[in-house]
Amino acid sequence: MLDYLEHLALADWVRSSPSVFAYSTVLCAHGVGLGMVVGVNTVIALRLLGVAPDIPLAGLRRLYGIVWIGFSINLVSGLLLFIAEAHTMAAMVAFWGKLLFVAAGMGIAELLKRSYFADLASVRAGVVTRVGRNLAIISLGCWYLALIAGRLTAYPDMVNGWLHLSGGST
Amino acid sequence: MQAFVNSHEWIWSVLQIIHYVGMSLIVGIIGTLDLRILGLFKSIPIAALRPLVPWAVAGFFGNLLTGIVFVTGKDSGPSYYTDNLSFRLKMLFLVLAFVNLLIFQLSDLEQRTYATPAGANAPTAAKAVSAVSLVAWVLVIFFGRTMQYNDTLLLFLGM
Repeated sequence: MLDYLEHLALADWVRSSPSVFAYSTVLCAHGVGLGMVVGVNTVIALRLLGVAPDIPLAGLRRLYGIVWIGFSINLVSGLLLFIAEAHTMAAMVAFWGKLLFVAAGMGIAELLKRSYFADLASVRAGVVTRVGRNLAIISLGCWYLALIAGRLTAYPDMVNGWLHLSGGST
Repeated sequence: MQAFVNSHEWIWSVLQIIHYVGMSLIVGIIGTLDLRILGLFKSIPIAALRPLVPWAVAGFFGNLLTGIVFVTGKDSGPSYYTDNLSFRLKMLFLVLAFVNLLIFQLSDLEQRTYATPAGANAPTAAKAVSAVSLVAWVLVIFFGRTMQYNDTLLLFLGM
């Protein structure tokens, strides 16, 4: 499976093309998407935790559109980056950890959007409940752990050293 | 400084993580503010977003500091960065973002923009400033990422 992905013409293009629109641009898109997803979820969490209390909660809910656009950019760019180096990525603990935190972060985001912000009575009153604050803290935890794990995929030898694993980085 | 930064691989990775956190704060907060000024999320009064700005400023200074450490601490010397076209373009668009911000702050634009209530449009000049801001920050990220793959940029530009 990993072999199949790595040998796709698209994977070869991302990995080996000298074009600035191949690896460089895909990596840049992944960075911008990261900023959108982590940054906008941070804005929402900070509001729930009491920073910028004048932002109406009902208006805050609309920001999830940006989160989903950023997530879509990163799903596509992430898949391209993955197939370009499928074996290397699949062998990294940090990579699977990152996916786990991203999935948990998006789960919390959907939970906030669908249940918390959909509770019109408390949203209209502008009151943030303890559940809302706790979800905001968990959301921040997921997103910044995802960011850290993602960055650590650039240092496979170092991470393997910590985990007393050998190899894994090709 | 250079010896310290290069003494352990984890130091460099931690500095990079801080640099990415700063980037996320800038994109999330300045990006949201720019999009509101451009006319999205109109139910949010623009002034309500203002208390978030210091968090983006903190992210910026974190990135300025870690960025200075990257340039001065690179084991192959600062010329790795200063001779790099992507780095120079990144600095150019940072300066553009900064001049753009100065125009916003030193004119009466900032005051008029923050006076925009929920549901209302920001001044047209503020929309222009926000559009420039969005483009400048995306290009700062773009050229930040191409630094490591500068050859692909040089090839594209026929240099």
